[in-house]
Amino acid sequence: MNFSLIWPEVLIAALGFIILTVDLVLPRSQERRRNVVTGSIAAAGMLAILVFSIFYLRGRVGVLGADLYLADRFALAFKFMFLGAGIAVVLMSIEYVGSRIRHPGEYYALLVFSVLGAVLLAGAGDLLVAYISLELLSFSLYILVAMSRGDRRSAEASTKYILLGALSSALMLYGISMLYGPSGTTSFRGLAGFLFYNFSPTVAVGFALFVAGLGFKLSVVPFHLWAPDVYEGAPTPVTAHISVLSKAAAFALALRFFIEAGSPTHERWALALAVLAALTMAVGTLTALPQRNIKRLMAYSSIAQVGFVLMGIVANTPLATDAVLLHLAGYAFTNLAAFMAIIALEHRTGNEEIAGFAGLAARAPFAAMVLSAALFSLAGLPFFAGFVTKFYLFTATADAGYIWLVVVAVLGSLISLYYYIMVMKQMYMGTAADGKPLAVSRLTFATLLLLFAGIVAIGIYPAPFAEALESATAVFAPFAGR
Amino acid sequence: MFSEWAAWAIIALPLAAFAINAFIVRPLGAPAARLAGYVTVTALAVTLVLSVLALMAVQDAHGTAGYEPHLWFAVGPFDMTIGIFLDPLTAIMLIVVSSISLLVQVYSLGYMRREPAHGGHAAEERAVHAGAAHAHDAHGHGGDAPVGDGVSREHPYADYPRYFAYMGLFTASMLGLVLSSNLIQLFIFWELVGLSSYLLIGFYHWRPSAAAAAKKAFIVTRIGDFGFLLALLYIFSHRAELMAAGLNPFDIRDLHQAAPLLGPGVVTWIALGLFAGAVGKSAQFPLHTWLPDAMEGPTPVSSLIHAATMVAAGVFLMARMFPLFEESATALNLIALTGGFTALFATSMGLVVHDIKRVLAFSTVSQLGYMMLAVGVGAPVIAMFHLFNHAFFKCLLFLGSGSVHHSVHTFDMRKMGGLKRWMPVTYVTVLIGAISLAGIFPLAGFWSKDEILVAAWEGDTVGRLVFLFGIGAAFMTAFYSFRMIYLTFHGEFRGGIDAVPMAERIPDEAHHAVHRHESPRVMTTPMVVLAGAAVLSGIVANAPFDLGIVPAHWFAHFLEEEAPHFNWPIAIVSTLVALGGIGLATLMYRTNAISAEGMALTLKPFHVLLSRRYYMDELYEGLIVRRVLYRGVFQAADWIDRHIVDGTVDLAGWLGRNTGRAMAQVQTGQVQLYGVGIALGVVVILLVLLTQGGG
Repeated sequence: MNFSLIWPEVLIAALGFIILTVDLVLPRSQERRRNVVTGSIAAAGMLAILVFSIFYLRGRVGVLGADLYLADRFALAFKFMFLGAGIAVVLMSIEYVGSRIRHPGEYYALLVFSVLGAVLLAGAGDLLVAYISLELLSFSLYILVAMSRGDRRSAEASTKYILLGALSSALMLYGISMLYGPSGTTSFRGLAGFLFYNFSPTVAVGFALFVAGLGFKLSVVPFHLWAPDVYEGAPTPVTAHISVLSKAAAFALALRFFIEAGSPTHERWALALAVLAALTMAVGTLTALPQRNIKRLMAYSSIAQVGFVLMGIVANTPLATDAVLLHLAGYAFTNLAAFMAIIALEHRTGNEEIAGFAGLAARAPFAAMVLSAALFSLAGLPFFAGFVTKFYLFTATADAGYIWLVVVAVLGSLISLYYYIMVMKQMYMGTAADGKPLAVSRLTFATLLLLFAGIVAIGIYPAPFAEALESATAVFAPFAGR
Repeated sequence: MFSEWAAWAIIALPLAAFAINAFIVRPLGAPAARLAGYVTVTALAVTLVLSVLALMAVQDAHGTAGYEPHLWFAVGPFDMTIGIFLDPLTAIMLIVVSSISLLVQVYSLGYMRREPAHGGHAAEERAVHAGAAHAHDAHGHGGDAPVGDGVSREHPYADYPRYFAYMGLFTASMLGLVLSSNLIQLFIFWELVGLSSYLLIGFYHWRPSAAAAAKKAFIVTRIGDFGFLLALLYIFSHRAELMAAGLNPFDIRDLHQAAPLLGPGVVTWIALGLFAGAVGKSAQFPLHTWLPDAMEGPTPVSSLIHAATMVAAGVFLMARMFPLFEESATALNLIALTGGFTALFATSMGLVVHDIKRVLAFSTVSQLGYMMLAVGVGAPVIAMFHLFNHAFFKCLLFLGSGSVHHSVHTFDMRKMGGLKRWMPVTYVTVLIGAISLAGIFPLAGFWSKDEILVAAWEGDTVGRLVFLFGIGAAFMTAFYSFRMIYLTFHGEFRGGIDAVPMAERIPDEAHHAVHRHESPRVMTTPMVVLAGAAVLSGIVANAPFDLGIVPAHWFAHFLEEEAPHFNWPIAIVSTLVALGGIGLATLMYRTNAISAEGMALTLKPFHVLLSRRYYMDELYEGLIVRRVLYRGVFQAADWIDRHIVDGTVDLAGWLGRNTGRAMAQVQTGQVQLYGVGIALGVVVILLVLLTQGGG
């Protein structure tokens, strides 16, 4: 096996341990310093690995074991996305962790391990590798959710997350065993042919259970019920992390599984997934309407977004796969920008209620502007990433013949505009009880500016992003039925 | 070789001037306000240099500098591209736009400087108007202190930042329009030109008349733009044919070859749609009504709109897409007739107006008519030649009218007279502009007007007809050009603003008084430069014989057209006609051998018809807008909106909220229930899986 292909993964793991060690060495009394040092190591380390991967992995592609682990362009694209998102989450955490989280070293180390889990997931070409990577990601997240200091909601959310996560993980493992039993293989590519000839009820049960486990990670309706409670209870940077990293990682797995293992049997599973997509869009959008808490609102909003992306997997055409990747990239910028702005505003006002955002445009005009841009992007309005990526996604889905699904998606987008604009209405039309300007730190400002630039860049000039991602999805070219 | 970066910089520099003035200079307030002018002037000076380099590069390359378009976004097989299309036509337009804009900006440095106030009353009144400005433009001015543009209105440079920011945007939009390689890209800049002209015409937005004029310009041109948009959609609906031939449906170079693929019927509709856009932008009949009202903007803005930026866009579009138009005789005939009719129709209205800027405005409409006429008879190069010449002398005439206003503070020619005594530079330069406008040998206007008439004469029946229109318009143009000269500069001075009763003055100008002085040098210098161009541009750029440095018919050859030949009979006829017009004006307004008032009385019905501009405004506003649209369409739409649309929306909202509430009820926080959800989900997936394909 050619282990030189997984140097970036090894380095990410090493980075996690380095952070833990540094945390041990630094005196416990200097909590502030520990936070800044370990946070900086995490951000700088991931940036260094990102840059290293760009040069190191150029032209280096290959497979480890018999389809166990795939170091291809698709995995590489997600590697960049996860490391980038990880850096952004660390940057938005530094201020927050200082006052609200007890163990900064462990916090950053767990963030790095969750990134590692996600990166491995994107490269998994085998059900078991996928399962283990998913568990690494999930366990890191279970702990991260519980880390809020003295907040009972945080502990409660984590407990729920663990219980339901364990249930769905058990279902998934059970599904894997039912697929492995009759087929004798756990590799995606190996399963493809088997599924095509032997889609017996037993295999169907295995397939359904695996999809259910995946659906939990993706928070697809009706496996989504954990999401709002966890989003609300988790420390806000962790919420951002779950909404971007764990979603995108699960989608990387879903894309790989449904394309490599599922393409020949597309007609069998497409309708089931289409029903789930429609349900997810409808429930996510409608339940978001009466929400009062910004984090719960973002939870339902990201559930609805999952429904949109799922359409691309249902369509299962090269165009749709490109669209899914582009949408995930745009969504990563957008959601990170939204959460960054929410943290900047919420951290100082201490108020998570949407009503508490009243008059913030006057107090922190830049953060309010970025949040508005991100919300417009989520709603899919022009000049922002969401418009272009949704346009690609909807076009691809319609081209594949799922017009009814696109109709649901368009209606969902339309309704979603309402609750996004309600937040903006509070910020711009509402009056704050306290009119003093909110200070936004230089670090926050710079990160916000960078994310905002990303949203606008994809929204105005998507071609370079789309072209880069097309080279990533080219790895799926050989799969039949596409 | 002219790199593509330099071409993009031509757009980016004025845009940067806009951004710097809007986001840096303006927030800095009074101390920095003066810088705004220098920012835009510097940016445009560099732009002009780049434009000259672009022209030289195109000249050396003997044709198009080929830049590959860039992919903007792609949906399936359709690629939306953006890029730079730099051919001789673009190169000429770049020179026109950037040189005219630069001169106008320099002039504006003087013109837009406010004069110190003359006492308490005026200051008080202006403060009131500054307050009104607040209300109109709340988002732009909202938090600024103390009034208006963040600078006290008493400040001499109070108008600078906003004015020069808009001017940068305006110029950048027009430069972007002429450089576009894609029709959608061109349309985006086309709309930006519309937007920035709206902002500039309404620059004095606290004056109700300016706000109304800006709105009118925007809405009337939008009617034409709708045609443009329909043409774009129509092209898109035929994308399959074009893409099958390996062409990009919106790439301008590809569209030039598209006519045979689309067939004459489709091409005609596309051409008519594009022409509708040009009719709006270039103020052709019946969408000409916005241009005379657009005088409400600051005079340098009018100068820029009339010479190089806004109205030139329509003619440019015709020339740019000419290979498509060429394939449709129907479209060309309609264009020729519209142009010829507009030329005649607009000049007739110019005969009777008293406002010097409106005389010029009607002359622009009619000169644009000439250009359209030239396109219609199949001579886009001659149309461009006229646009080129017209840009210089029309810009000059407007700057002259601004200079006159600087002294007498009115545009009403009835209050002028004898100004040549203290405005020698303005007098001489405006006189040169007027002779050029009248089309007298050997000034610029003569050459291109003559070529247009020759081209028309050599056409078919339609050509002969529009030739007659053109001759008629030439006579009246010469007449009102000299009527303007005589009324403004000759005879006795009739008092300027001092003769206007207080009640009739525009509040902003109420405090002004006549200053018998020539305008400052910053204003007269651009006029002198333009006067030089007005004399020479025709003879030098497209000389009928070799001039040594410039070869004969350089302009036409540059645009890859055969040289137009000189037609002695037509040249003599048109010159005689123009001299006749001047002679009549001399008799009526200089020697008073014929009484102008007497003439007006004798021909009263005509005079009234012309003064009311053929009642076109009344027709649009009174009949179409008020009666048909307002009473009929809008009220019906209102009813439908209130009862049906709102009802549906309310119902949908109620449903959505309540379904949402019901769904949120599931979210009890009980883990057991969540587990049930997961189990249910598995069952649903399994059921659907098993029903599909009979597992």
